[in-house]
Amino acid sequence: MRTHIFAFTLSIFLCAIARAELKWEQTAVELHPAPGDKEAVGHFKYQNTGSQPVRFKSVHTSCGCTAAQSQKEEVPPGEKGEITATFKIGDRTGTQVKSVTVQTDDPVNATTVLTLKAVIPQELEINPTFVFWGQGEALKPKSIVVRASKDFPVKQLRVTSSSPDFQTKVEQTGNGQFKIDIQPRDTSWNMAATLTIQPEGSTKTFSAMARVTNAAAIQ
Amino acid sequence: MRQALILAALALLPGIGEAIYFRDNVSWQSPIPASEMVTVVQARAWDGNAIWVDARPDAEFERDHVPGAVPLNEDSWNELLPQFLAAWSPEKRVVVYCSSQSCNASREVARRLRDEARLKNVFVLQGGWEEWLKSRK
Repeated sequence: MRTHIFAFTLSIFLCAIARAELKWEQTAVELHPAPGDKEAVGHFKYQNTGSQPVRFKSVHTSCGCTAAQSQKEEVPPGEKGEITATFKIGDRTGTQVKSVTVQTDDPVNATTVLTLKAVIPQELEINPTFVFWGQGEALKPKSIVVRASKDFPVKQLRVTSSSPDFQTKVEQTGNGQFKIDIQPRDTSWNMAATLTIQPEGSTKTFSAMARVTNAAAIQ
Repeated sequence: MRQALILAALALLPGIGEAIYFRDNVSWQSPIPASEMVTVVQARAWDGNAIWVDARPDAEFERDHVPGAVPLNEDSWNELLPQFLAAWSPEKRVVVYCSSQSCNASREVARRLRDEARLKNVFVLQGGWEEWLKSRK
């Protein structure tokens, strides 16, 4: 019995001193990309503080929009490195949280989940981005509310319709908020328009859609 | 036998400790209510009364997709949304899918269609493209 206990204790002790250990500087990164940025890059730094080399088995991301790369396949004892996670912003809005799962041959911390949080600035909040009329529906205007962010104050909005079948009227309702009234010329046939919304003095445009559908539905 | 049980109990302790420590970081529930999810069998039964929306990246859509599906992903949301809305009709259900059960793109696309475009009857396909492929075999 004593021999067993001794062997057990010794094996734990040996494992402890000959361990491989990847210490992460941080496992969560928050990024604040500027308006117009195409991507946001997070760096997750690590160091092997153990006495054995650590080998990366896999690096997986939670989303096709994020690519993660490890600088090296194996990290010798004492060496530092980083995993780079590149998040493609595209037309995403708001706060985006993506994870990167790193698997190593470290028996103690085989799996580490890294979190990349990107807070994407939103210049304009458009609600709703789509208005529609059913076929034969009363010719009444429908509204879209546009709210400017505090960080991007807007004095005037310019709205253009891609089709003369839809007319628009912009009204400032205060507190950086605007109301766009959209009216179709006719609701007896299927038609659509893209509304281009542009804040005064900005080159960036936003869009909304208006449509008369061929179904007799009311929004 | 007794020693084995003691060892097993000792091995369980760190697991229990971790579960308690990280209890707030683990999502135990799906963020989408069951009523907003749909199985492949249910969605297929809707037949012509559904619009399939492919929320995967463009390259994956181009490789293969559900017949008749419309691409709509957040990489090119502003460009693809008008195309989708032109195909949309109020009486049709919208079925959004991405690669698999673990992907989140279909949930985000469905959320934006509900919240931003205020569309009704928007569903997320359980198991996504992987599940659809299985049903095709």
